[in-house]
Amino acid sequence: MATVTNWVDHLTASEVSGQIYPFVGTELWWVIAGIAFWLCWTYYTATGEAEEQRKLARKKHGANDYKNNISEW
Amino acid sequence: MDNELTALTTIFTEFYYWMTVVLMFLIHVGFCMYEVGASRYKHHQHTLMKNTLLIPLVTVTWFFFGWWIYWAFPTGPGIAPSIMTESTGLVLGGGFGANELANPTNALMAINLNDHIMGVFWAAFLLFSWTAASIVSGAVIERITTFAFGIMAIAIGSIFWSMGAAWGWHFDGWMVKVLGYHDAYASGVIHAICGGFALGILTVLGPRIGKFSSSGEPRNIGPRNPWLVCIGLFLIFTGFWGFYAACNIPIFDLGPEYGMEGTTFFTATNIYVTPTTLSGITMNFLMSLSGGFLAGYWVSKGDPFWTYSGGLAGIITSSAGNDLYHPMQALLIAAVGTWCAYKLHYFVERRFKIDDAVGAVAVHGYAGVIGLVICGFVLWGYPSSGYDGYAAINPIGMIIGAVIMFGVLGFIPGWVLAKILHSAGKLRIPRDVELAGLDYNIMEQARKDERAVASSNR
Repeated sequence: MATVTNWVDHLTASEVSGQIYPFVGTELWWVIAGIAFWLCWTYYTATGEAEEQRKLARKKHGANDYKNNISEW
Repeated sequence: MDNELTALTTIFTEFYYWMTVVLMFLIHVGFCMYEVGASRYKHHQHTLMKNTLLIPLVTVTWFFFGWWIYWAFPTGPGIAPSIMTESTGLVLGGGFGANELANPTNALMAINLNDHIMGVFWAAFLLFSWTAASIVSGAVIERITTFAFGIMAIAIGSIFWSMGAAWGWHFDGWMVKVLGYHDAYASGVIHAICGGFALGILTVLGPRIGKFSSSGEPRNIGPRNPWLVCIGLFLIFTGFWGFYAACNIPIFDLGPEYGMEGTTFFTATNIYVTPTTLSGITMNFLMSLSGGFLAGYWVSKGDPFWTYSGGLAGIITSSAGNDLYHPMQALLIAAVGTWCAYKLHYFVERRFKIDDAVGAVAVHGYAGVIGLVICGFVLWGYPSSGYDGYAAINPIGMIIGAVIMFGVLGFIPGWVLAKILHSAGKLRIPRDVELAGLDYNIMEQARKDERAVASSNR
């Protein structure tokens, strides 16, 4: 799992390996996981935004109604 | 790094770009303040969130494909052959000649003990991408959906500006080779593209409710908080110092780079690897800012919003050639660009009923285009590169370059994407939500919370 287990051995090797992060060689899978997370985020937040706006639009508030909600914490 | 001098040079360069990233972060702080100050009270929080979310969205997509596009498409592809060979220190192998370092699945695009530069260089370009998306963000406030803006932010921040940079802001870019395109501090590749992109969206998105009277006369929807706008623009100016520094390579030996046997010439260079100095561009930056301020104050008859925006428009106009201009040239070019941008803003608003809420199309788009055209005349005959076979800077090449930046990579993609999202009903918020205010539910809940707390006695 650990790419580096001994810094002295790592840095005194005949050719120092640049990569020091865990699971070297699995980069593609991490990128795929990142893309999946991004796409899921986009889908769920877009759906939520549309739903929230539909609900608000149905209430037919006027342009100045928000002034009744100005709080003075 | 096996000797002290190499180590010092490397670590200096690494720290140099890191500092530019920190400074450029202030551009985004400024844009957030500016937009919130310009928006109306009932839209504040959504306006802030819209601009904030572009940070993660552009960052992750810049990692996935934006950076790769920059390194993959300098040749067009297929328009002008690449000069990149292994002797330049670049590793070939990705698609269309893309650098392996820009491949997100490659082990080299991560912490790497053998590379101290690519990560900070990637980040400096990423901060340009945030700026690109933020420019568009201001123009469309109070009526675009967050979803649609996210798509637009990714498109401009991780695709179209990156493509423009590959073509015209890269030492191997085909526009530099074929057209003699010169755009040292991104009048075109950031500002003109983004201004054009914003205009394309606005054409489809339409104005805010109430912006135009029934007879078509534009009404002023002034900034709710001019002080926030003022501080925001000052922070953008502050961040621009980082922007300018990030456009340079801080130390480079041009002798071997240009194939001059036995010649050593260490200097700062621009992105095209032609020499300039950080000292000189500092003078030009300040003169451009001053020219813009003076012209903005003059043409707007002392309007604070346009005086501040004029400072920005001035910098943007002179940026294309600020690596070579005399400070007085920078001053006067900035003033001309600012004057024209202001006039064009109101002409387009009245003639085409375009509601650009913060003047982004004018300050970035028109000023950027004017800056490119002027650069073509003032720097006519200068070499666009130190490498062999490149066209010299010339007016025709720069005018074509301006059309490519503003129109081909800016307006057209923005218009097409907006049309697609509009057709799907995803572009604009419902009319009743716009009237009520995007923050209505948040404000209503806050009022309930306040009453509950105020009525409690323990």
